[in-house]
Amino acid sequence: ESEEKEILRKDSTVRNYSPAAYKFFMEQHVENLLKNHAQRITRKMQLEKEMAKVKLSEDAQLQMRRMLQQKESNYIRMKRSKMKKDMFEKIKKLG
Amino acid sequence: MSFLFGKNASKTFKPKKNIPEGSHGYELMQHAAVTLGSGNLRLAVALPEGEDLNEWVAVNTVDFFNQINMLYGTITEFCTEDTCAVMSAGPKYEYHWADGQTVKKPIKCSAPKYIDYLMSWVQDQLDDENLFPSKIGVPFPRNFLSSAKTILKRLFRVYAHIYHQHFKEVMQLSEEAHLNTSFKHFIYFVQEFNLIERRELAPLQELIDKLTSKER
Ligand SMILES: [Zn+2]
Repeated sequence: ESEEKEILRKDSTVRNYSPAAYKFFMEQHVENLLKNHAQRITRKMQLEKEMAKVKLSEDAQLQMRRMLQQKESNYIRMKRSKMKKDMFEKIKKLG
Repeated sequence: MSFLFGKNASKTFKPKKNIPEGSHGYELMQHAAVTLGSGNLRLAVALPEGEDLNEWVAVNTVDFFNQINMLYGTITEFCTEDTCAVMSAGPKYEYHWADGQTVKKPIKCSAPKYIDYLMSWVQDQLDDENLFPSKIGVPFPRNFLSSAKTILKRLFRVYAHIYHQHFKEVMQLSEEAHLNTSFKHFIYFVQEFNLIERRELAPLQELIDKLTSKER
């Protein structure tokens, strides 16, 4: 009967995960979260520094800032679809 | 990495007898302080300068779903029809499943069933290209934020159930710091953008106060 339940489980979104996997994932995840946060600020500061160095016009600066923001935004959108794909891959391996 | 993913806990850990509700409250509060890392997650949840709020909420919602899915996946064998015949979060809160779309009349069901419905429903929302566009340049729908709020409100209930009914097992698996960190991140995020109503958070209010008191 429990085997049957296992099979039923396979068709649902809920899966078994090993605690080791979860813990490994969370440890990496928190580290990356803080790293990504810091890096995004660094990229912004770097742009400002570069722009100040070459004395860009106000208009051009605005444009550059927008470009960086768009790039950052696209990056997290790609990350979102990758996060979903990665989960799917893991699940496939398990099945 | 397939070696990391499996149902291996069953040999080491046996499900505990149903713990009377409320008896482990002290333990829970005592262990609430244990978290991972030393960085400040509160700062990391803020909307990055120039970022679109929907985009930010979307990526974080997918992230929380993955975290909760994995977390619950580590305790599925302890959360059964027998141990959790109803979906509850302590003695005062019981949840009945309805998604408002296909299931309009709330169903009273066991926690594993409820959580299965819930996670499958969330998965469907995340996979809906109209709601969570994945292609660059495709805009979010106008109702995105209210949909995301509903998703997060429901995901919270899985945390609430785990904290109230399965914290013993979480401790046996030595993953309380991981759970606390995950939940703290979640709470910081929903507080930052006011995504879940206070009364929905009531089942874990005491814990929330404790978890968030230090870094305020
Ligand atoms: Zn349960």
